[in-house]
Amino acid sequence: MRGYALILQNELILAWRRYRLVVLALVFLLFGIEAPLVAKLTPALLKSIGQGMTITLPEPTSVMSWQQYYKNMTQIGLFVLAIVASGTVSRELNEGTLVILVAKGLRRNAVIMAKYTMALLQWVVALLLAFGVTYAYTAYYFPDELSPHPWLALWPLLWFGVLWLAIIILGSTLSKSGFTGFLLGAGVYLGLTLLNMFKAVHRFNPVSLTNDNLALLTGTKTFWSLAPAYAVTLAGAVACLALAMLVLKKRRL
Amino acid sequence: MDLLTLTKVNKAFGSQQVLKGLDLAVPQGAIYGFVGENGAGKTTTMRLILGLEPLDSGTITFAGQPVRFGQTQGIGYLPDVPAYYGDLSAREYLTLCGRLTHTPHLHERVGEMLHLVGLPDTRRRVHGFSRGMKQRLGIASALLDRPAMLLCDEPTSALDPAGRREFLALLASVHNETTILLSTHILSDVERICDYVGILHAGKLQVQGPLQALLAAHTQPATCFTFGTETEAQTAATLLGAVAKADQVTVTADARAALTQLLAQHLMPTAFNPIKASLEQLFMEVIA
Repeated sequence: MRGYALILQNELILAWRRYRLVVLALVFLLFGIEAPLVAKLTPALLKSIGQGMTITLPEPTSVMSWQQYYKNMTQIGLFVLAIVASGTVSRELNEGTLVILVAKGLRRNAVIMAKYTMALLQWVVALLLAFGVTYAYTAYYFPDELSPHPWLALWPLLWFGVLWLAIIILGSTLSKSGFTGFLLGAGVYLGLTLLNMFKAVHRFNPVSLTNDNLALLTGTKTFWSLAPAYAVTLAGAVACLALAMLVLKKRRL
Repeated sequence: MDLLTLTKVNKAFGSQQVLKGLDLAVPQGAIYGFVGENGAGKTTTMRLILGLEPLDSGTITFAGQPVRFGQTQGIGYLPDVPAYYGDLSAREYLTLCGRLTHTPHLHERVGEMLHLVGLPDTRRRVHGFSRGMKQRLGIASALLDRPAMLLCDEPTSALDPAGRREFLALLASVHNETTILLSTHILSDVERICDYVGILHAGKLQVQGPLQALLAAHTQPATCFTFGTETEAQTAATLLGAVAKADQVTVTADARAALTQLLAQHLMPTAFNPIKASLEQLFMEVIA
C-alpha cells in the first residue's frame, strides 16, 4: 500500500512537471468550450457559406450541444487520453527506472495500480472539466428543457474509461514500445464497435456506454438499462489489470 | 561468517545457459571483487541475488534467509547505468527511495548521504547530472537505508579515470558500514580496493578467496631481465627457453639459477627486477 501511494504521488509530480496535466486540461477545456459554441454557431456559419441558397436548419438546442460534447469525448477525448497513458509503463521498462525501486522492495503490482489510478484520475478530471464548461455554456446558450439528465448521461462514459484505461495499461505493460497501449486500445475499441452491430450483444457491450449517452440525456433510456454493460466493463477492467500485473511480474526490468 | 551464499545456482535465458552450478560466498565485512569477462553472467548473478530474476535451480541465502524472486530485503543495489526519474531533484529521489524502505529520520539521512557523495542539496533536477554524478546518486540511494550489503554492478566502467578514482575512494570509505560485492572487468579496480575476489568464467566461479592468498597460490614468481641490446636479449631468451620482448626477457624459473646461466655465457643483464604477482596474471591463467 505504501509503495502504491508513493508511486502515485510520484506520478502526480512527474505529470505536473512534464506539463502533461496542463496539456490535458487545456485540450479538454477546449472541447468543453467548443461543443456548445459549435452548436450555437453552426446555423450562422452554414448561412454565411450558402449565400443565395435556401437552407432550412432546425433551431439549435441543448441536445445538439451535448451531442457535440459526446462526439468530442468519444472520438477524440478517449484517444487523447490513450496517447497520454500509452507509454506509462513501457517508458519505465525502456529506461529501467523501476530497477532500483523494485530492488528496494517496491511491489510490481503497486506500479500497475498506481499507474492505473493516475490515468483514471486524469480521465475523471479531464472529463469533468470539459463537462462543467459544456454544462455552463449549454445552460447559458440553450435554456431549454430538452436535456433533463446531463449528469446521468455522463456516468456511462465515465465508467467506460475504467475499462479503456485498463486496456491501455495492459498494452503498455506488454511491450517496451510506447504505442502498444494505444494500438491495443484502438484495436479493442474497433472490435467492440463491430460487435455492437449484433443487437443481441448491445446491452452487454462496453462500447454501448459511449453510444447511448444522448438517450440517457433525453430520458428515452434508463440508467439501469445498461447494467449488463457496466458489469462487463468492470469485469473486463479487472481482467486487464490482473493480466497486466501478471505480465509485469514476469517481465525483465 | 558468510553474509551471502550462492549454492549450485543455474540460470538460462532460452537455450543460453548463463550460470552452470555457480557457488559463491561473500564473507561479512568484505569488499568482494566479482570478476569476469563481458557477458560472463555477473549482472545476471546480481539480479538473482536481488530477487529481480527467478532462479532455475540452486539456492541463494542472504543473512541466513533464502532469497526469493520478487522479494528483496537489506541489499543496496547500484546498477551499471542507474536510471532515475529525471524530473526529480536528488533529494526528492532519495526521499522516494527512503520512504519505500521506511528509513528513519529521512530528512537528515538524505542530507547526510548527499554530503557523503558530494552532491549539492539543491532543486537541480537529475536529468542535468553528469554520469559521475548519477553514479554518486546511485551509491547514495543504495546506502540510504544502511543495507547490510551493497551490490555494485560495473560501477566504474562508464567513468573517466578521475571519476573512477573518486568513486573507488567513496566505495572504500563506506567499507566499514557495509559488505560490498563489486562486479567489474577492470582488474586494477579490484586490486585497488578489494580484499576478496572471485573469477567467473564459463558459468562457474573458477577461483575465489582472499586476494593475496589467491595471488600467492596461483601465480608463479617471475623476474624481468633487461639487456643492453635486443640481440643480447634474444640470445638470453633462447638460452633460458623464454620469449624476448625488445631488450627484455621475463622468466618464471628460479632467478638465481637463470642469472648463473646467463653469466656463464657472458651475458650480463643491465637490470633485473622481480615481477609482483598480479590479478591480471591470475585472471588470464584461470580463463585460459
